Amino acid sequence: MTESFDFKGRHIIDTEDLSTAEILHLVKTADDIQAMGDKALEIAKGKILATLFWEPSTRTRLSFEAAMFKLGGNVLGFSEASTTSSAKGETLADTIKTVALYADIIAMRNPLEGSAMAAARYSDRPIINGGDGAHLHPTQTLGDIYTLYKERGTLDGLKIGFLGDLLFGRTIHTLVRLLSRFDVEMHFFSPEGLNIPEYVRSSLQAKGAVFSESEDMNGQLAELDVLYVTRIQKERFFSEEEYLRKKNSYRVDRELLEKAKSDILILHPLPRNEEISQDVDDLPNAGYFRQAAYGMEMRMALISKCLGLM
Amino acid sequence: MRIERINNGIVIDHIAAGKGIEILKLFPTEILRTKIDYASYIDSPRMGMKDIIKIENVDVNHEWLMKVALLAPDLTISVIRDAKVVEKINPTLPELIEGIIKCRNPKCVTVRETYLPSLFRVARMENGKLKQQCQFCEHIFYS
Repeated sequence: MTESFDFKGRHIIDTEDLSTAEILHLVKTADDIQAMGDKALEIAKGKILATLFWEPSTRTRLSFEAAMFKLGGNVLGFSEASTTSSAKGETLADTIKTVALYADIIAMRNPLEGSAMAAARYSDRPIINGGDGAHLHPTQTLGDIYTLYKERGTLDGLKIGFLGDLLFGRTIHTLVRLLSRFDVEMHFFSPEGLNIPEYVRSSLQAKGAVFSESEDMNGQLAELDVLYVTRIQKERFFSEEEYLRKKNSYRVDRELLEKAKSDILILHPLPRNEEISQDVDDLPNAGYFRQAAYGMEMRMALISKCLGLM
Repeated sequence: MRIERINNGIVIDHIAAGKGIEILKLFPTEILRTKIDYASYIDSPRMGMKDIIKIENVDVNHEWLMKVALLAPDLTISVIRDAKVVEKINPTLPELIEGIIKCRNPKCVTVRETYLPSLFRVARMENGKLKQQCQFCEHIFYS
């Protein structure tokens, strides 16, 4: 018997709300939509996506909007708080209740942690969390899972390295939490003081995940199938000197990749600074721009499923 | 110190010594306008020392019962009618508490959007501390 995956009307707030079977179903749906080619333009014809972004975002907002256009739907919304009624003191609840009258589905980013969960309480239309402050970013995580499937065919047996600021990077925390459900090995490489937070470490330990932590990759780079790089944020350092020292010690370039497997996949949630040298971009290993495209395709799947169209 | 018997009202007993004053602060002002007996650091065979509070002509209500349970988990509340104990209550903590605890994460949506009732998952730790996790921002606090 085929399992039914009815997402119609469902909010996507946290990947932890999704079962592993549901996540794999979303991966399959994303694939199915891409296989439809131009016929995908009929999927959301006549439907409206509202993109409510109270804080600036290039990639996530455009990715949601492109996803809806590719499904044949329409988009309305705002991209900064100053142009909205929020600037006049309107509550989040009132904004959501109003927009739910205009749109069939809402993708939102708001700097307040827990804002997407709060919005879902006031909306009879599906809410998709496009980032709630430093808290959750589930569509990035689902896009990353889809990327790994597309690039590697399976997650089973993968050895995945995470490099950079692992303390403040919200994409890393949700991804790592989700990956611990699969048969993968995780290796964390970060400057002192920017290692994974305790709650992530204890969550991995509780789930029996296989992982290691170190400051440098030397011992393990040659073993990795995937290297997920994050930006080291300057504002986290007390001195410019310290920042430059740490930043330069975590630069991925062609020379470094000579010590890695020839088919190692390099991922990055973007935007990047100098942690991945531009000379890597032309290598087939550079998966980060394809990753952005897969993120959009996963958002097409999410919109279609939550609207009950697939 | 002598605590007088009451005919109608409630007796809050087995309060950890010195904690009674904090429990009194939880009461709504209308309760504080009735007759209250409060004794602190009195001998207790069970606890060594304890506090006790008697309040006349008042009923318990759910909201402050939960607040009291958060503060002093071991206490007992006796409801007195016509000088007889008609009910004994051991306040228990529900797993989820709505609208009583305030989130201390300044970036939490419940702090800015104040009409939202807070929602906390609570659990008593082995060391006696109370673990409180905001269900909106997921921050964890201990008290």
